[in-house]
Amino acid sequence: MIKKKPTSLAKIIKSTIFYLFVTTLGVGILLPAFFLVSLSFLSTREAYQFPLPLLPALSAKYSLTFGDRGYLLSVYDDFDDEYQTVLDTAELEKMSVYMRSQIGAPYDIPDIEDRIAELESGTDPVYFKARKNLLLNYDLFFKVTRDAVPALIRSLQIAGMTIVISLSIGGMAGYAFARYVFIGRDALKFSVLFVRMFPGVAIALPMVIILANMGFYDQPIGLSLVYSVGSIALTVWITASIFMGIPESLEEAAQVFGATKFQAFLKITFPLALPGLAAAAMYAFLGAWNETVSAIILTQFNPTFAVVVYQTLLGAVGHVNLAAAGGLAMAIPSVIFTFFIRRYINQMWGGVTV
Amino acid sequence: MAVAIGNKSFRNVWSKAIPYLLILPVVVYYALFWVRPVLKTVFESFRDTAGQFTLQNYAMVFSDPDFIPAVRNTAIIVVFSVTLEFLAALFLAILINRKFVGSSFFLFVAMVPMALPAVAVGAMWLTGLTAHGWLNSLLFYLGVSKKIYWLAGSEWALLAIIIIIDAWQVIPSVMIILLAGLQNIPVEAEEAGYVFGGNFITVLRKITIPMLQSTIQTAVILRLISAIQIWLIMVLLMGFNRLPVLVERIVYYHEEVPGLDISFQMASGYTIIVSVIVSIAALLYLKVSGAFGGNQEARQ
Repeated sequence: MIKKKPTSLAKIIKSTIFYLFVTTLGVGILLPAFFLVSLSFLSTREAYQFPLPLLPALSAKYSLTFGDRGYLLSVYDDFDDEYQTVLDTAELEKMSVYMRSQIGAPYDIPDIEDRIAELESGTDPVYFKARKNLLLNYDLFFKVTRDAVPALIRSLQIAGMTIVISLSIGGMAGYAFARYVFIGRDALKFSVLFVRMFPGVAIALPMVIILANMGFYDQPIGLSLVYSVGSIALTVWITASIFMGIPESLEEAAQVFGATKFQAFLKITFPLALPGLAAAAMYAFLGAWNETVSAIILTQFNPTFAVVVYQTLLGAVGHVNLAAAGGLAMAIPSVIFTFFIRRYINQMWGGVTV
Repeated sequence: MAVAIGNKSFRNVWSKAIPYLLILPVVVYYALFWVRPVLKTVFESFRDTAGQFTLQNYAMVFSDPDFIPAVRNTAIIVVFSVTLEFLAALFLAILINRKFVGSSFFLFVAMVPMALPAVAVGAMWLTGLTAHGWLNSLLFYLGVSKKIYWLAGSEWALLAIIIIIDAWQVIPSVMIILLAGLQNIPVEAEEAGYVFGGNFITVLRKITIPMLQSTIQTAVILRLISAIQIWLIMVLLMGFNRLPVLVERIVYYHEEVPGLDISFQMASGYTIIVSVIVSIAALLYLKVSGAFGGNQEARQ
């Protein structure tokens, strides 16, 4: 008879405590992010309640009765467990706008007229529900914020150009580091690392005049030239380690069969290096997408998306939920790309060995 | 025959030249877009508006009433946040140091704060720290009904808030780096320590930490470099001037008071100060990582 080894009670307790600890840590890490997400879905009315609701309501419950100035609109409040009067008006237009923009649960004027007909025919008060438009803040952020959409497009352009510049220039150098011994190799390798650590703002400031002379100030290409300085350095280190991981003997074998060195690279090494190159590209994207200070200095009328969100936040006193939507729109691509490159994350800290 | 030999030597020269051709674009790019702007800033910082040599620009920066507070605040943030973050991350890494179900998901979660753009982090805490923000709401649900005015405190309270926010963002990532380092230590090394009668503390002090040394150095110096450049979160939470730091001064002079004659000089002066400090830290990093000959293998 096979006896299963009994799991001791102490072990179970120990592992439970361990998982509790890890979960607590995870919750602590994600808590601010959770509130940002939740806040970005709250209606304006919800966002200015205290305490803030933990989750956005999915629908709004309204009640309608006669008021001094026309009709009295009330909204059900989960926290206080009662209907609270929000509006007293005879203008249906105003009522509909209020329901759409403040409560976030739109209700058309013809429908309101139907409810008023019910009220007139004796049902007092009239209760009704409306589905909430959860994406309202995102919609408003992109509509209300001057420039949000063009800035988003500019940011994507800048990131794209940064990827192209840093992958072509940095990738070549990375290949040289991986495959050749040459004079000044170590000096260059560490100069590149030094450039990577050098503060970006120190390059941005003098670049104002240099880019202006080139006609690139306040242009996407200007910023991508600045961002490429840092991301070329990172690309060199990442691609060098990728190419080192691909045995040179594969290329040599192809050359034995008559391929030139360039063909061997194109047909053998390049496809094998693709996943790593994709990671390097994502790093370049993140660097360009997340950066703020150089973008503030080097743009004037054509800000990047990060600068637009920054400006919204600086004046966010009246629009907490809109600011949250902007911040989250900024964060989503970063989190997605980080997920894909999580295996390479230590390299961002210079932990790459060449 | 002579043709074949000539061809061969041409090929030889060509293959010798390949690596230099491959690195040429990087060298040219850095000459144009790194060396040139950096030298330009340095030259400009010694010239007055008429183009003559002067030390006036530096004198102006040093006599800026916010200069001393900016240096002090930056120094406090760097010292406290790096120390706190490192110790907490090491503690957590040692507690977690084992493989468990869901560990890869946990590691991803831990990377999220560091991956977030600075403006998103700003949005997070700006909405959290206002009087009606989510932090007070959370405390309310937990039974603390008194509202705390987080951003109305003294300078020290504000510094503490910045350090805590930075800790939230950075500790998880440093923890991951240290975890990776811990998992590279052979089990035998620590076991040997216990066999020879060491307890947990002695093994930690005499074996684990020394073996983690290069990981720790990397993490601490790179953290140092980014802590010196912290600014955005302060401006978003408190506005300019409330809690001056070095990089905040650069943006302030460049963006907020651009009309003044001295704005560019002030911004350049602060830029040079930040660059010098960061460069020293970067050189320190290159030194410990063996860039200047010697222990090249130490990092591997």
